[in-house]
Amino acid sequence: MYRIYWIAWSVLLALTLVMVVLDQMPIPRQTFVALMLGAMTIKASLIAGYFMHLRFERWPLVVGIILGLPINAAILYILIVPDALRIFGMTSGR
Amino acid sequence: MATHTVEPVIDRWGGGACPFAAGWRKVMMWAFIVTDGLLFAGFLASYGYARLMAERWPPQQEVFSISYLAVMTFVLISSSATMASAVVAAGASDRRATTRFVLLTILGGVAFLGMQAYEWAHLIGEGATLTHNPWGDPSFGSYFFLLTGFHGSHVLTGLIVLCVTAWHSAGGRSSANGVEIAGLYWHFVDLVWVFIFTLFYLV
Repeated sequence: MYRIYWIAWSVLLALTLVMVVLDQMPIPRQTFVALMLGAMTIKASLIAGYFMHLRFERWPLVVGIILGLPINAAILYILIVPDALRIFGMTSGR
Repeated sequence: MATHTVEPVIDRWGGGACPFAAGWRKVMMWAFIVTDGLLFAGFLASYGYARLMAERWPPQQEVFSISYLAVMTFVLISSSATMASAVVAAGASDRRATTRFVLLTILGGVAFLGMQAYEWAHLIGEGATLTHNPWGDPSFGSYFFLLTGFHGSHVLTGLIVLCVTAWHSAGGRSSANGVEIAGLYWHFVDLVWVFIFTLFYLV
């Protein structure tokens, strides 16, 4: 069991190193952002899946967690956006 | 007289007595992690908006040492790996290994916080405050101090939890479940840093 964590650790460190190296290279902005977001998603999945054991949990818990965050975020967004837009209109004089 | 059978609620629901196959403390820790994740998601969304609206957002390579930040990231990821190992050791009832791995995790957390304090001191020395900075948009300083400070306060909380866990483990009073829950929180702190490192320092 230890082995799987240290493999995840190695991949996480390698990905961090790749991100830092790419940061020093002259890559077009959009490509750079896409690469960074891709690496970030893989790193987050490795941490949640292996270190936090989500990969080994029963599916109702996994679905509850994975859907819980975006659903709650969507509810907050729907509730907050009308006020946010009104305030933005007030501050920008529109 | 007509009779009818009432099915037990549990059968109609079909979820079983323990659909998550996890204890309530673990499920509650996950609920906390989801809500705390929302807090950071809101924070990062607000940062994204401020950055899009800014006339000149300071180029990160001019302000930060990315290699120094990479070392900070290495330290935090390594502490997550030692914590995952502590959970395995606790599951195997290996008290000595559990305590050793938790202490290594604490060491990583302290090193990370020390490095963050140094980074803060360096930027404050160069004139960065919550409302002003010498590199560009004024909100840059606000977001830097609030995002990293908020994350740092989570690291500090995690360190307190880990110290209690190590104390209990050394005294033979910790349970595998308790170590796992402490580990979940610590990995969450690592997970949030992955987002901050990418979205604030690199992109």
